[in-house]
Amino acid sequence: MKNSNRSNMCVPLLIPRSYKTSEENKTGSWRFLRPRYLEKTAPCSSVCPVGQDIPRIQMLAVQGSFKEAWELLLSENPFPGTCGRVCFHPCESACNRLEFDEAVAIRMIERFLADTASRYELQPRLNKLAEKGKKVAIIGSGPGGLSAAYFLALLGYSCDVFESSNKPGGMLRWAIPFYRLPLKVLEEEIARIESLGVRIFCNHHVEFEKFKHLRSNYDAIFVSCGYQKGRRLNIPGEESPGVEDGLTFLRELKRDPSSPSLHGSVAVIGGGNTAIDVARSVLRCGAKPVIVYRRRKEDMRAFGEEIKMALDEGVRIEELKSPLKIEKKESGVILTLQKMKVAGIDESGRAAIEPDNTDPEIVSYDRVFVAIGTEPSEPWYVCDSCSGKDIKLYNSVMRFDGQFPVIFGGDLTTEAKTVTNAIASGKEAAMALDVLFRIGKDFVLPKISRCRVGNGLSVSMEIYLNGERKNRVSHVVSYAEINTDYFNLIPRTPQPRLLREERINSFSEIDLKISGSVAMKEAGRCFNCGICNHCDNCYLFCPEIAVKRQDSEEGGLRAINYDYCKGCGLCVVECPRNAMVLEEESA
Amino acid sequence: MKTVMEGSHAVAEAVKLARVQVISAYPITPQTHIVERLSEYCADGSLDAKFLRVESEHSAMAALIGASSTGVRTFTATSSQGLALMHELLHWASGARLPIVMAEVNRAMAPGWNIWTDQTDSLSQRDTGWIQIYCEDGQEALDRTLQAFRLAESVNLPAMVILDAFFLSHTYEPVDIPDQAKVDEFLPPYEPKFLLDPGNPCAFNQLAPPDVYMEMRFSIQTAMQSAIGVLEEIQNDFSEIFERSYGSIEPVECDDADIILVTSGTVTSTCKEVIEKLRSAGEKVGLLKISLFRPFPGEAVRKVLSRTRKVAVVDRNCSFGSGGIFAQEIRSALCNVPDHPLVYGYVAGLGGRDITPELLEDIYWQTKNTDFPELDSFWMGIREVKDGIICSGS
Repeated sequence: MKNSNRSNMCVPLLIPRSYKTSEENKTGSWRFLRPRYLEKTAPCSSVCPVGQDIPRIQMLAVQGSFKEAWELLLSENPFPGTCGRVCFHPCESACNRLEFDEAVAIRMIERFLADTASRYELQPRLNKLAEKGKKVAIIGSGPGGLSAAYFLALLGYSCDVFESSNKPGGMLRWAIPFYRLPLKVLEEEIARIESLGVRIFCNHHVEFEKFKHLRSNYDAIFVSCGYQKGRRLNIPGEESPGVEDGLTFLRELKRDPSSPSLHGSVAVIGGGNTAIDVARSVLRCGAKPVIVYRRRKEDMRAFGEEIKMALDEGVRIEELKSPLKIEKKESGVILTLQKMKVAGIDESGRAAIEPDNTDPEIVSYDRVFVAIGTEPSEPWYVCDSCSGKDIKLYNSVMRFDGQFPVIFGGDLTTEAKTVTNAIASGKEAAMALDVLFRIGKDFVLPKISRCRVGNGLSVSMEIYLNGERKNRVSHVVSYAEINTDYFNLIPRTPQPRLLREERINSFSEIDLKISGSVAMKEAGRCFNCGICNHCDNCYLFCPEIAVKRQDSEEGGLRAINYDYCKGCGLCVVECPRNAMVLEEESA
Repeated sequence: MKTVMEGSHAVAEAVKLARVQVISAYPITPQTHIVERLSEYCADGSLDAKFLRVESEHSAMAALIGASSTGVRTFTATSSQGLALMHELLHWASGARLPIVMAEVNRAMAPGWNIWTDQTDSLSQRDTGWIQIYCEDGQEALDRTLQAFRLAESVNLPAMVILDAFFLSHTYEPVDIPDQAKVDEFLPPYEPKFLLDPGNPCAFNQLAPPDVYMEMRFSIQTAMQSAIGVLEEIQNDFSEIFERSYGSIEPVECDDADIILVTSGTVTSTCKEVIEKLRSAGEKVGLLKISLFRPFPGEAVRKVLSRTRKVAVVDRNCSFGSGGIFAQEIRSALCNVPDHPLVYGYVAGLGGRDITPELLEDIYWQTKNTDFPELDSFWMGIREVKDGIICSGS
C-alpha cells in the first residue's frame, strides 16, 4: 500500500453528520424566559414639564436628522427656540448620565435644533387634523395661551387669542431680557403659531364683563393671563418716588432698551428670577446693582446658573437682610434693613429666618426695584381652589360655568411658575377640550391620564394622538438599568458664552450658538434611556440568530423569531439602554 | 543530505516536506523555533501554506479544526501551558476525527515557572484521543513528523510528535533531510474521507444522543488500537524509501537481560551508553525505548519484558499521588502475565534536571540490589530541602 495514506486495515470512522439544515432544530422549544422589545420612559422625559421625547430627539440629532428632531420637538412644544434658551431644564438634573460623568446638555441641543431650522427657514410637517367646527377663545398670549392655541389649531379648532398689551408673547416678550431671549426667536415662534390660522387680537383687555360676553361667541374659553402684578412689600415708604416695580422696569426696558439711563447704586429687593433679571439689566444700563434678600443665597428661588452668571457679571447680593422701611431723600432713597438670622429649615427646605436683634442698617441707594414675586392682576383670574365640579388635571383646571367649559392654565394653575410649565398647561388644555368636545366630560381625566409621560405631571401630545410613543411603558429607567459597559466617559460640552466684558455693556444674547458637529457629539453622549436606537447589539449577540431585522420604511424594526429564541436573555443584558425586557414564559 | 541543525528546525523541515496547507500557532518557548522557521518558509514562498496568526493556543487549535474539516493538511506546535490551554479542543479534534499533526515540545508546567524539559504536559493529555510519539533525536523528530501525517490521515485521528525541550529542540545534530520526491512518494496528498464542501452542504458533529454516542467513542478506541498495526505498515514503506526504520518500541540487549531499563525521549541515548558500560562489566542489563505512547503498544511491550526478572522505568513526569506515568502503563501491560517481572518506578529529571549516566547506573544498582520495590515510585536525586518558601537565587 505504498503511495497512499489509506491503510489496508479497516479503520472505523463514526461521526455525527447531518444533511438537514440546522433550522430543523427549533431551539425556541427550550425557552422558559421570553425576551421582548419594550420601550420605557427616560427620566429626562418624565420630569420635562412638556414631556419632550428627549432620548429620541438625541437619537435623531446624532444621526444628523436635525429637521426630524426639530419636528419631534414641535410635536410637544411650539416654543423650542425659546425653551432651548430659557427653560430651567429639569431634564438635565434627572439625566442618568449625571451618575456616570455629567448630564447631557439637552437644552443646548434643543436650541441648536430650533436655530438650525430657523437659519434654513425650514417648514415643519405639522399634521393638522380636520376642522371640528368649534371655536375657543384664549385669554392671554403668553406661552400658556399660545400653546393652547397652537395645539387646538392642530386638533382642528378655531382659536382667537386676546392680548391686553400691544404685542403678543406675555412674559416671554415683556419680562425675559434680550440677553437671554432675543426678540427674533420669539417672533418667529409666534408667527409659526399664527400660520396655523390662530388669530391674535392685541390691545384687547378682557375684563369680567367682556369675559361674560365671550361666552356667547365661543364654545370654550382658556384663561391664561398669568401673574402680571408685582407683589408689594407692605412696608412704609413703598410708594415713594424712586421705588419701582421690577417687572414694570423690565417691561419698559424691552419696549425701548435704550431708554433708561441708570447710575449709582441700585437696590433690587427679592430672590427670584425676576430679581436676577432686574439686577443684570440694571448693570447693563450702567448702574451698580445690589440684590437685597432676606434669606440666604442658596435659598433664592432663582435658577442657580442665573445667580452664578449675575455674580460673575458683578451683581452683589446682600443676604439675610429684610427691608423695614423706605424713605425718600433728595436724590435717591434710604433703605432701613433688618439683619436676619437662620432659625431652622422650613417645609420647602429653605432657611427659616428671624431678626437677629441687632440695630437696623441704614443704606442709601439711588433707586430701589421691588421684585418679590407676582400675582394675578384681577381677582376672577384666580383658580387656586377646586370645587367638586371642576376637573383638576395635571397642569390645568377645567371648570364649568353651567355647561360652559372654562379652562385655567399657565401661572394661574401650574405648580411651578415657569415658561415650560405654562406651555404644558396649554397643551393639556387643548387635549382636555378635544376630549370634552368629541367624547364627553367624563372621559377628560381618564384620557389625559393615559397620556402621562412616566409618573409625573407631564403629558404627551404624541401619546394622545396614538403615536408610536404610546407603546412605551411608564417605568422610568434608572441608572442601574443602563449597561454602562457600552459608554465611554466623555465630558459635557460647555456652553460657549460671550466674555463677561462683552456681556455687561449690552443686551446681546450671552449664550452663543454651537456647530452641528458639536451638537451631534453632545447628543451622542445620551444613553437614549429606555428606547431602541438601533444599535443592533441584540442582533449581534443573539447566539441563535433569532433577532430579525426587518428594514421597513420607518427604519429598522427588530423582531424576535420565537421559533429559535431559546430565552438565554443575552439580548436583554447586552441592550445598553434597557429597551428590552425578559419575562417568564407563561405555562 | 545531512545537515547540522536544531531539533526544532528538523521538525520544520519535515512540515515543509509534508506540503502542509494550513499552519496556525501561538508562540511559546521552547516550541517557538518550529513555527518561526515555518512562518519564514510561508513568507518566502518555499512553503505554499496559509499561516494563521492567532491570539492563543485555544484559537490555534480551533482554527486548525476548522481548516482540517475542509480536507486540508494542517500543523501546529506548542508546549506546556499552551498545550493545557488547548485541552478542550484536543478532545474536539479527536472526536471530530481530524488528522491534525502537532509538534509538542515537552516543557514543565508552571508554577514555579520553568521552561525546561518535563513530560507532564503531554502526558496530562493522554486521554484526549491523540496519538503520541516520543522522539529521541533530531533525525527521529523529522522522520516521525512525516510518519505522523500519514498515520493520522490513515486512522483519522490527530497526532502529537513529542520532543524534549532544549535537549532535543535546541540541540544541533546532523540530520538527513530527505529529497522532496521521496517524501512525496511516501506521503501523497491528503485524501479526506469526509469534508466540508459548499457544493454538498452538511453539518458535522452535532448532537449525539446516548443511542449513538457510545458507538462513536468505540470507533475512536478501535481506530486508536488499529493505529499500532497501521504504523507498522507505514514503517515498512518508510524503511523501503528512506532506508531507516523505527518501531513503536526499540529493545536494546533485552534478549538475555535480567533487568531492563525503560526510557523515552532523549534520555534513551544516555541510557544506551550506560547499558554498553554495564554490559562490558558483565551485567545482564537491557533497555527498552518506548516511542509510541498512544496507542500504547502493550502486546509488543509484553513480548520484550515478560522474560526478564526486573523492569526499571525511568519517568521524566509524575502523576501526583500515583507516580511515573510510563511505569503505570508498563505495570498495567504486565499485570495479567503469569510470573510477570517486578516493576520499579523511578521519577527523575523533572523540570529539566539532567539525567546523568551516573544516575541511570544508580537506578540499575538500586533495582538489582533490592528484592522488591518498596515504593510505587522512587524519586531520584532529591536534595534535602527544608519546608518553606525557596527564594529565587538563594
